[in-house]
Amino acid sequence: MTRPVTVETITERMKEFGVVEQVRKNRIRVKTVPDRIHDAITTSQAMLGFDRLITISTVDNGETLELLYHLIGSHRIIISLSIELPRDKPVTPTVSDLLLPAGIYERQIHDLFGITFEGNPNMKKIILNEDWPGDEFPLRKDWTPGPDVFYGGIRVEKREGS
Amino acid sequence: MAVPDTGMSRRLVNWARAKSPWITVYNSGACNACDIEIIACLMPRFDVERFGILVKGSPRHADILIVTGHVTLKQASRLRRVWEQMPEPKYVIAMGACGAAGGVFHGLYHMMACVDCVVPVDVYVAGCPPRPDEIINAVVTCLNLMAEDAAHGGKEWRRKKPATGADTEGKSCTVIP
Repeated sequence: MTRPVTVETITERMKEFGVVEQVRKNRIRVKTVPDRIHDAITTSQAMLGFDRLITISTVDNGETLELLYHLIGSHRIIISLSIELPRDKPVTPTVSDLLLPAGIYERQIHDLFGITFEGNPNMKKIILNEDWPGDEFPLRKDWTPGPDVFYGGIRVEKREGS
Repeated sequence: MAVPDTGMSRRLVNWARAKSPWITVYNSGACNACDIEIIACLMPRFDVERFGILVKGSPRHADILIVTGHVTLKQASRLRRVWEQMPEPKYVIAMGACGAAGGVFHGLYHMMACVDCVVPVDVYVAGCPPRPDEIINAVVTCLNLMAEDAAHGGKEWRRKKPATGADTEGKSCTVIP
């Protein structure tokens, strides 16, 4: 007979990956490192029944970019695995081999925050237009549109006579 | 149609066009409220089909293009292509607050500055979303324009002006800084 999954058992099991914190009644946050995120997701899927990915959210903390992988299971406890990446070299391994829908979230994050997910098989643009310049990431806090940059769409010439 | 043709067949074509305008609707990044109002137009309460107004799926069959919403950068080339597929004479109605000046999307990073930057707009409809009777009124206004253009022998007699507030003078029109 398996033990029921509770906040205590999750805290006990996830302690090896980093700081575990209970933020609300059924919300757990685990602060881990990019190299261990693969193992952490495998463990929470296989041992603790977190078999569904809710979303991957991204926070711009200034110095670092923080990724949060939110997972849920039938026990209705949500676990948020967080990793921090340096702003000048935001590279992390993909988790789309473990969680198939994560590939689409990763493509969106790649468009809007410029985080590269190594091993994602299809890293094309999904949410921005195809002719958007490659080194502009509009959801970063320090981004402002350049006055002379062409962001795609249709280039408009000066109208005659107006 | 450079020279006004007063022949019987030409008059018949103009009459038929004014009595039964065919419309295609293009959602260029709107919130779908405008599209729901257009569907309300088609339903029995307003029933635009009694005026001969038909909503067609293909722009190749249409006389009037209704653009709902502000144009995103991704949709700009698609909207231009849809407009280019329509046969002459073609008319464009920009619908709602978004179509007129951007609405709540005004100044975002992924938006064109105006619908008029992409396709020339003939009629603007105000409202968020416009009521169905306002949409019918816009189509009727467009038909009056159509009749005037037919009398003048083309659209060249009235010069298209950019929308008020959308000053495109000397700068790239894609992003409002």
